[in-house]
Amino acid sequence: MSTILDPQTATQPRQAATMQGETRAQGSDTPSLSIVMEDRKASRANPAKASADKLNFWYGANQALKNINLVIPEHQVTALIGPSGCGKSTFLRCFNRMHDLQADTKYEGAITLRPDNVNLVGPETDPIEVRMRIGMVFQKPNPFPKSVFENVAYGLRLRGINNKTELAERVEKALRGAAIWDEVKDRLNDSALALSGGQMQRVCISRALATEPEILLFDEPTSALDPIATAKIEELITELRQRVTVLIVTHNMQQAARVSDFTAFMYLGELVEVDATSKIFTNPSKKATEDYITGRYG
Amino acid sequence: MEADEQTAAAGVTPSKRAMGDAASHGGSDPLEGHTSKTMDQSLTELRTHAVEMGGLVIDQVSSAVKALLERDLRLAELVLSREPLVNDYESRLDRDTLTFIALQQPVASDLRATRAVARVALELERVGDESKKIARFATKAGAASDHDPVVAVARYLRHMAGLSTAMLRSAVRALDEASPALAHEVLALDKELDAEFATAIRQLMSFVMEDHQFLRATIDTIFALKGLERIGDHAKNIAEQVLYMVEGELPGRKGA
Repeated sequence: MSTILDPQTATQPRQAATMQGETRAQGSDTPSLSIVMEDRKASRANPAKASADKLNFWYGANQALKNINLVIPEHQVTALIGPSGCGKSTFLRCFNRMHDLQADTKYEGAITLRPDNVNLVGPETDPIEVRMRIGMVFQKPNPFPKSVFENVAYGLRLRGINNKTELAERVEKALRGAAIWDEVKDRLNDSALALSGGQMQRVCISRALATEPEILLFDEPTSALDPIATAKIEELITELRQRVTVLIVTHNMQQAARVSDFTAFMYLGELVEVDATSKIFTNPSKKATEDYITGRYG
Repeated sequence: MEADEQTAAAGVTPSKRAMGDAASHGGSDPLEGHTSKTMDQSLTELRTHAVEMGGLVIDQVSSAVKALLERDLRLAELVLSREPLVNDYESRLDRDTLTFIALQQPVASDLRATRAVARVALELERVGDESKKIARFATKAGAASDHDPVVAVARYLRHMAGLSTAMLRSAVRALDEASPALAHEVLALDKELDAEFATAIRQLMSFVMEDHQFLRATIDTIFALKGLERIGDHAKNIAEQVLYMVEGELPGRKGA
């Protein structure tokens, strides 16, 4: 370190600090500075939309989730962060029973969905019913090789909605909800695969929204998108929480910070810490969380 | 090298850093250990520059008061000539912290440390301003006489300068070592400084009642005393920033 300072007048009595310190009792001074970041109040939790209680999950003999207890507040965005392999995607997929598609997996504990308290991972619960209520958007945009319209109408048709007027209305509503209506309204019969990545992803979100799910799961929804498409999706997620409860897995910590109300940090299959996002990113309680978000992990 | 002399002189040599008592954050140095070495380096640089600035500013305060008490015109001029350096440090730290936030996007303790550095630089710059005012008064105070308000409160000026620089030194060291204990020392000293200020003012009031002739000089002396009292407040603000940096809470706000 180089600097231009040249003090010739270095006459500080070095003992001054100790001397004065000793003559003074540890007085409790009231700080005049009262401006504290109060914004965590902004992230007060809504009532629970769902809650995981003592949730365990196994891929064969490998336990991927260990005793997860987490409340998902209604109409808010909860972000799951953590290093690869920490179980965040596994946890997310429990919500719509995606693991059922794979052999030799086992759930234990419960994910209770309000208001009817159905246990999403209970063996008595029909996974098809679950998926009717819980929508999902994946990392890579995965529209069906069909027209834009048919992509969004797909879930509605599955539910027996065949009335043309109703279908058209609900498709439009879903496309508007995913902020893509203006871009595709003249191309509804074009193949969804002809759209850009960001547009395809928003069509996928429309497809998920069309069936009016109660919870929308996002698994790394923007990692395949450019910054502008990412910003549009993030903006959309922020708007969506008015209508739906959002659970998002992301590797992009700044994204979690930008879009979520609550952030849960997972590590090695365990939930380490969950708190208001403003708290997590300014003053997390656990050292593991701090190390991860500040890039000291590993 | 000169910087080393500077900071050593002020008793705030940037040191091997020990982590105070922030149990929840643990570790050896709270600002190091990133996977990204650039992050480590930038944060250390920011803090080192703030500590260097602290060394310079502490010297400005004690030199200004010494110049006033000893009617040392050259020393007063030295203080005035170094004032732009203090401002340079401030604008540089202001720019560097902004760049660091933009490029590295610090969060949690890193973000708090970055903010602390920016705020500390601002506080130190204001301390520099107070020193400048005292030095300017020293340049026009003229020769000492029996009826001299500065002489009348010399004891208080000296003591308040000692107290305020001790507070600054602890505050800057608290930043350097991320030490809440040192920060609390600063907070504890502020009351004593305020009490000294009140006593000095009473002393000056009886002085000016006896002799109206020196009204102008008395007012200037009051400003000098007030400046030292303000310097204590700035040191206190620095200490509070350090506490926020290390503990994530401002004093008295825990669990709020």
